Amino acid sequence: MALDTQVAPKAAPEFLVERRGVQRALGAYVVAARFDPTGQRAAFALGDGTLRLIRPQGPEEWAEIAVHDGAVLTLAPDCRAGGFLTGGDDATLRRIGADGTVATLASHGMRWVEQVASFPGSGKGKADGLIAASIGKRVQVFDEAGTLLKTLEHPSTVTGLAFDARGKRVIASHYNGASLWFVAAKTDSPRKLEWKGSHTGLAVHPEGDAVVTAMQENALHGWRLSDGQHMRMSGYPSKTRSLSFSRGGKWLASSGADAIVLWPFFGGGPMGKAPTELAGGDGVLCTEVACHPQQEMVAGGFADGLVVLADIASSRILPVVPPNGVAISTLAWSPDGTRLAIGGEQGFAALVDFTKQ
Amino acid sequence: MAEAQTEGQVPVTVLTGYLGAGKTTLLNRILSENHGRKYAVVINEFGELGVDNDLVVDSDEEVFEMNNGCICCTVRGDLIRIVGGLMKRADKFDGIIIETTGLANPAPVAQTFFVDEGVRARTRLDAIVTVVDAKHLPQRLADSHEAADQIAFADVIVLNKTDLVSPAELEAVEAQIRAINRFAVIHRTTRAALPIGQILNQGAFSLDRVLENDPDFLTDDEHEHNEDVSSMSFELDAPIDPERFNAWIGALLAEKGQDLLRTKGILAYAGEDRRFAFQAVHMIADGDFIGPWKEGVPRRSRLVFIGRNLNRPQLRRGFESCQAG
Repeated sequence: MALDTQVAPKAAPEFLVERRGVQRALGAYVVAARFDPTGQRAAFALGDGTLRLIRPQGPEEWAEIAVHDGAVLTLAPDCRAGGFLTGGDDATLRRIGADGTVATLASHGMRWVEQVASFPGSGKGKADGLIAASIGKRVQVFDEAGTLLKTLEHPSTVTGLAFDARGKRVIASHYNGASLWFVAAKTDSPRKLEWKGSHTGLAVHPEGDAVVTAMQENALHGWRLSDGQHMRMSGYPSKTRSLSFSRGGKWLASSGADAIVLWPFFGGGPMGKAPTELAGGDGVLCTEVACHPQQEMVAGGFADGLVVLADIASSRILPVVPPNGVAISTLAWSPDGTRLAIGGEQGFAALVDFTKQ
Repeated sequence: MAEAQTEGQVPVTVLTGYLGAGKTTLLNRILSENHGRKYAVVINEFGELGVDNDLVVDSDEEVFEMNNGCICCTVRGDLIRIVGGLMKRADKFDGIIIETTGLANPAPVAQTFFVDEGVRARTRLDAIVTVVDAKHLPQRLADSHEAADQIAFADVIVLNKTDLVSPAELEAVEAQIRAINRFAVIHRTTRAALPIGQILNQGAFSLDRVLENDPDFLTDDEHEHNEDVSSMSFELDAPIDPERFNAWIGALLAEKGQDLLRTKGILAYAGEDRRFAFQAVHMIADGDFIGPWKEGVPRRSRLVFIGRNLNRPQLRRGFESCQAG
């Protein structure tokens, strides 16, 4: 599907959401927005414990499902069509089916379920998807059916969790680095990626070249996986809470500055290279980034509510949502890149359609 | 660092004290009292807390060192995550109470509220409350570093189990507390019974209220103490040169920050009608202008140190070297 970027008129500034989007006030902090693996459903996870679901291609109908007693802390697409996974501060890991049923995959007493990640499966007709969730220092890995495969212990609380693009490895960030585990290993001992300090989130290069973490000290740290070479990316005025690799892993987009900061992962970079900055200049902090899944473009959300789509090569900026004063807290593309889900701190939610019209 | 706005910030009370001193009893009192408020309580072991309206969060105390050049700058990463999580909830809290383990050093908790921008934006450190056992405190002070640290850091001290000691013993233990920290408010209790208004919403870390509680400021302690931790105060009548003060205090905190548990001051800068308030926890400092000096009141700069190995002549000479002109 082609992406339509020729929609911005030359004259008056226009925001795409007004003509090609739906928007709604959901009344509670939007913790995360995600699409299911088919892109047929979008989910918004809220601080009031509910999930709000909408079908991008249908009429505008929002379904509400109560999932957690407290706040939803994390949201991921399920491996199964139409489904989602959530973790909450009620200590449960939930699985929401395409039919809206809520099942409990795990329950952990008083502990928060803070990170959930999934691998959609190889797509070869085998139900070989994977689910991982973190509860404090522990990561549990489940198969697609929801059977617990293994429990992985870490030295401190897990702050970021991701599978690599092929579902071979699951990677967790924590104090003093990250741990890289092979899902199929008979005995579990991680490859340790070490760097002193508090690592607060992570991104895995789509080709498996590198792991990058965000750090408490307003910097990123990375490890090239082929040789363990360290990468230090600093200069942020604020903490980075959002990281996203472009398709193919050429660029790493990051929040935490008053622009979308992109580090080059080619030509020997990011070591010794300056980052590219897009959509900056207003002195407003970029709070969220999401690289387009097909093209070299990145969506950026800002502390004043502005959302833009930036073309990396040309630096062309397409305004998507006008600044309404409330920080953007989540951005997510549909798998085919035709739709962008947007959430804000006080309950702003929008879904924007980028299909050619 | 400028002081953040207090509007909309949730007050955070840190509750420290040895196992058995009465921390859990106090916490239960706070939570069970019919005050119509809602608190989030961060604890380490889910004990016997009678909670209905409140939220209890179970957490491990996870301290890490910041890579920011301060060798003693340790922070509780678990609190950063928990505060972030709590702020996403639809229900809002009137306060957050953080209970630390018996042997915990209060510094990392306090420093978290200075260091992390997200935590600073959403919450404010209200006070450090330390519960001590009147009977066993002398022994604790003799055999551990942490007991003195917990008293040194405290804004409010709940001197509990007073029914288990004689009046003379009580006087002696209170004198021992005063030798370490002359600036904390002390409440004598049995079974940790006291109104929550004496514990919560103290504003002790508000720059507006720095040094508000110094009843015996001038009756200073020229005599020697046997305590390892002590407090010292200094006053200057001549106005201060801000650049000299910044240079001196910056170097002092960088060099002696590990020994300086808490530093607080109100300064009269030359040519400035507003009071400058200053506070530090170890090496991490915070300062800003607060309201104007009152008419007719002498503009006297005051500085207080609570810590180890305090060298009175050296500190006095250093402070005096900050005079303007």
